[in-house]
Amino acid sequence: MHCFESLDHLKNSYNTRISQIVDEKKAGKKLVGTFCLFVPDEIIFAAGADRIILCGGKNDTVSIAEQYLPRNICPLIKSSFGSIVNNGCSGVKSCSHFSMVDLIVAENTCDSKKKMYELLGDYVPTYVIDLPQRPDSPEALNYFLGELYKFKNIMEQLTGNKITVEQLKMEIKTSNETRQLLRRLYELRKIDSPPICGVDVLKLLQKQYFLSTEELKASLRMLINEVERVKPDGTHKPRIMISGCPMSSGNTKVPEVIESRGGVIVAEESCTGTRSFWDLVDENKDPMLALAERYIKIPCSCMSPNDRRIENILELAREFEVDGVVYYTLQFCHGYNIEKYKVQQALRKAGIPMLFIETDYSNSDIEQIGLRVDAFLEMLS
Amino acid sequence: MISVGIDAGSATTKAVLVKGDRSIIHTIRPTAFDFISAAEMAYKDVLDHAGVDKKAVDHVYSTGYGRNSIKFADKAISEITAHALGVYHLYPDVNGIIDIGGQDCKVISVNNGRVIDFLMNDKCAAGTGKFLEYTARALEVPIEELGELALASKTPAGITSMCTVFAESEVISLRARGFTKEDIAAGLIESIAKRVAVMARQIGLKQNVAFVGGGAKNAGIKVALEKELSISFCVPSEPQITGALGAALYSIR
Repeated sequence: MHCFESLDHLKNSYNTRISQIVDEKKAGKKLVGTFCLFVPDEIIFAAGADRIILCGGKNDTVSIAEQYLPRNICPLIKSSFGSIVNNGCSGVKSCSHFSMVDLIVAENTCDSKKKMYELLGDYVPTYVIDLPQRPDSPEALNYFLGELYKFKNIMEQLTGNKITVEQLKMEIKTSNETRQLLRRLYELRKIDSPPICGVDVLKLLQKQYFLSTEELKASLRMLINEVERVKPDGTHKPRIMISGCPMSSGNTKVPEVIESRGGVIVAEESCTGTRSFWDLVDENKDPMLALAERYIKIPCSCMSPNDRRIENILELAREFEVDGVVYYTLQFCHGYNIEKYKVQQALRKAGIPMLFIETDYSNSDIEQIGLRVDAFLEMLS
Repeated sequence: MISVGIDAGSATTKAVLVKGDRSIIHTIRPTAFDFISAAEMAYKDVLDHAGVDKKAVDHVYSTGYGRNSIKFADKAISEITAHALGVYHLYPDVNGIIDIGGQDCKVISVNNGRVIDFLMNDKCAAGTGKFLEYTARALEVPIEELGELALASKTPAGITSMCTVFAESEVISLRARGFTKEDIAAGLIESIAKRVAVMARQIGLKQNVAFVGGGAKNAGIKVALEKELSISFCVPSEPQITGALGAALYSIR
C-alpha cells in the first residue's frame, strides 16, 4: 500500500491541536466535548465555541471506569468515562484533551451512555440533548427541532454569543464542504484495487471530530490529491465493507487484522464512516429545520424501527461492489448486536457473505479474529 | 504427487500424507508447549510411516492455531477451509460440518467442499473439549470414560452454567446433593450438545452433517447432539484428522 505524506503529517496533529486549544481558551473561547454524531457541530461553531470528540478507543482507561461502572457495558463507554474521571492514581495517563472541555454536550442514545452521562455530570458540566427514538413518527421531527433550539440557547449562554441565522448558514455550508470532501475520498475507494487502504482512511476519520474544521479540510484536500495520483495496480483483493459500531481513536484492531491478512476495506457503514457524512444538510431551508431533518435521519441502532440502516447497508454494498461484509460490534453494545440478525438476513437474501466479529479493546482475541478473517477471505476468493 | 497437511491444534497436532488422492497416512500427537517441534515430529512420523523421503514431498500445507508458525509449510490455510476440504473428500454430499476441538468449536455450512458460512466459539470454553476436561476433573472421572458413563444415565442432571469455571462448581454442588456420576456426566454432555446445537441451527445445518474433531470421538456427545438436532451424523473413522487431510488436499485441488 502507498504511503501518503498528508497522513504522515496527521501523525503530529495531536500536539498541534492541543496547543491550538490552549491558545483559544486563553483568548476566552469555550471548548465543547461531544460523543456522538447526533450533536450538530454547526450550532457549536456558530456560537463561536470549539469542539472535540471524547469517545475513547484505548483499553488503558477501561479499568479506571470499572471502579464506577458495571463491567458488562461496552468498552467505548468505559474507555471514555475512564479517560475523563482519571486522576492519575493508577499510573495511567489520559490524553490531555479529556480534561480541557468546558461543557459536555451529550445525547440520549443507548442506555449505557444515558446512565453514564448522569455520573459524568459530577465531574464535568454535562448537557444532554434528548433524542426521539422513533425517528419516522411525525411528532419526532418537531420534538427534535425543539431540542435543538434548547441546545442553541445553552450554547448562547455558555459563550455569551448570539447565534444568528447567517452564522448557522455559513457553518452548514462549511460542514457540507467537509462532507463532500469525504465523499470524494470514498469515491476513490471504488477503484479496484483501491489506491488507499481502509486503515489509513479510518485513522483520518477518527480525527474528523478532533481536528479543527480548517485542518481537517486541508488534510482531506491534500490526501485526495495524493490518492488521485496513485496508479491502480490492477490486483484484486477481497473488497470488504465494515458495518456496525464506531471505531474510536486508538482502536484499529479489526481493520488491521483484515488488511494484514489480504483483504481491503473499501467502506465503513459506521459512525467512523459513512454515517458521519453521507447526507448533506439542505442549505436552502431554515437552518434549524434543515439541521433537525438531516441529523434525525442518522441510522443509529438506538433508533426503532431502523430499516433505513438496512437499506443503507445494501446500497453501500452494491455501490462499493463489496465481496463481503464484516459486521463489527463491541461487546455489550446491545443495539448493534441485536440488529446483526436483520442485517444478516438482508445480506443473505442479497447473496452477500457476512462475517460477524464481536470484540472489545483488548488484544486477547487477535489470533481468534485472525482465524475467522482468514477463513472468510478464503471463502470469498 | 505427494502432499502433507499439518494441523497444529491447541491440544493435538495432526499430520496427513496423501499420495495422489488415494493412500492416506496419518499421525496424531499431543501438541504440548512447542507448536513447532510437535509439527516437525508429526511431519517426520508420516514420512517414516509412508517410507517417503522429505525431498519427494511436493507440498506441505499447514492449518490449525499454530499454522503460521510452521515455517517449513508452503502455505497456511484456515481450519475452516481445511475441514471443508477434508470432509468433502470423505463425504462429498455433506452440507454441514460440526467440529468440536480442544479449545474451540465450529459449525460450517458447505457446498461441494466450498465454505458457505461458518460460526466459531473460541472466546470461551463452553462447547469445547476444555469444558469436558475441567468438568470431568470435578467428577473425578478420566475424560475418556465420560461419554460411556453419560450413556448409562437415565435422568441427566441439569447443568445450567455455560461457563466452565462455574460448571465445575455446579458439578461439585450436584455431587454434594447426591447425584450419581452417570447423571452428572450426562448433564455435562447435554450442556455441550445444547450449546453446539444453537450454533448449528444459527447457520441452518439440517441434514447431511459430518461430525469431526476430538469431540466426535466421544460417543456421549455424538448421541446427545444427534438427539438435540434430530439428525444422524457422518463420523469419519478418524475424526481428528479432517483438518490435516484438507490441508494436504488443498494443493492437489
